Amino acid sequence: MQGESGITRGEAILKRGKLLRVWVEFVGDEIKNVKITGDFFIYPEDTVEVLEKELKGKKIKDVQGIVENVMRNCEYIGIEPKHIVEAVELAWKRRK
Amino acid sequence: MDLRVIFDHKNRAFWNMALDEALLKNMKYYGPTLRFYGWSPPAISIGYFQSLKENVNLDETRRRKVDVVRRITGGGAVYHKWEVTYSIVMSPPSGKILDSYRLIERGIIEGLKSIGIEARYSGINDIIVGGRKISGNAQTRKYGGLLQHGTILMDVNVDEMFSLLKVPEEKMRDKIIRDVKERVTSLRHLGKLIEFEELQKILAEGFKKALNARLYEEKIDKKIIKDARDLEEKKYARREWNYKR
Repeated sequence: MQGESGITRGEAILKRGKLLRVWVEFVGDEIKNVKITGDFFIYPEDTVEVLEKELKGKKIKDVQGIVENVMRNCEYIGIEPKHIVEAVELAWKRRK
Repeated sequence: MDLRVIFDHKNRAFWNMALDEALLKNMKYYGPTLRFYGWSPPAISIGYFQSLKENVNLDETRRRKVDVVRRITGGGAVYHKWEVTYSIVMSPPSGKILDSYRLIERGIIEGLKSIGIEARYSGINDIIVGGRKISGNAQTRKYGGLLQHGTILMDVNVDEMFSLLKVPEEKMRDKIIRDVKERVTSLRHLGKLIEFEELQKILAEGFKKALNARLYEEKIDKKIIKDARDLEEKKYARREWNYKR
C-alpha cells in the first residue's frame, strides 16, 4: 500500500477496535517523515509530536529503541510502544 | 470540593471546545467547574490525534450542515446530536490518569442510577448499560489542571452517524455498522424519555454525589468568556487546527 510521493501506510489494531495509523516516507532505510494518527490516548499529548520529530532521519532498525525511549515516562491508554513499532515496520515492508 | 456548575445551552462546536479549554486554562484561578451543554447545529468532534480527512465524510457534513471540530482530548470521532455533553475542569487527583477517569465517570453512573439505570465502566473510557455503550469520555491534562468531557446519549441513529463518519475499511462497513448497532444504546432505547435540561440536573446530582462536591451555580466570568472567544477565533474555527492531522 503506497500513497502519493512514496509515502507508505502502516497500521496496528489497538485494544477495543481502536486503530493506529502511521504514514511514513522512507529514503533508503531512513525515515524522512512520519505522521502518527489514531483514536488512542497518550499523556502528555505532545509525546506524539516528539515521536514524529525523533523518528525523522533515523534508520528503521533504530525505531524500537527510539519509541521505547520517548514513551518511557508517558501514560498511555489503548496504545503501547510496540503498536507504533509494528505500524512503522509494516509501512517499511510495504514500501516499493 | 466546591464545584461551580453551569447548565448551558446547545452551542456551536467551535464555541463548545473553546469554552472547555478556557475553563481549563483558568481553573487554577477560578476553581473547578462542571458544565453541561449540547450542540447546535449537530457536530462531529474528532480526537486530538485523528486525521480529519480519514475519519469524516466532509461532503456529507456540508450537505447536512454538521459542524466539525478537533478536540484537545484524544479518543475517537463522535457525532453529537441527541445527547447531553459534560465537561469538568479540576485539579488532577493523585494516582494514575485512568483512575481519574473512573472517579469522574462515577458521576454519570450515579446520575443514571438515580433514574433506575445500572451502568458500569467498560474498558478504557466508556460507560455501558447491559453491555452496550451509553457514554464515551476523554481527558487531557494541561495548564496544571485536568479537563474531562464526555457524552450521555439520549438517542442514537447509527445509520445517520455512519453517513457522516468514515470507517477504516470500507469493505467492512456493513459489518461495522451492524456491530455498532448492537453495541450502542441510549436513554430512549432504555425507555427513558428525558428532556435535555432535566438530564443535566440528574447528572449534576450524580457528580455531586460521586465527587462529594458542593455545587453552586454561577455565571461564567468575563475573563473566561474573553479567553474562549479568542480560542474560538484563533484556534477551533481555524483550518490549521482542524486539519492538523
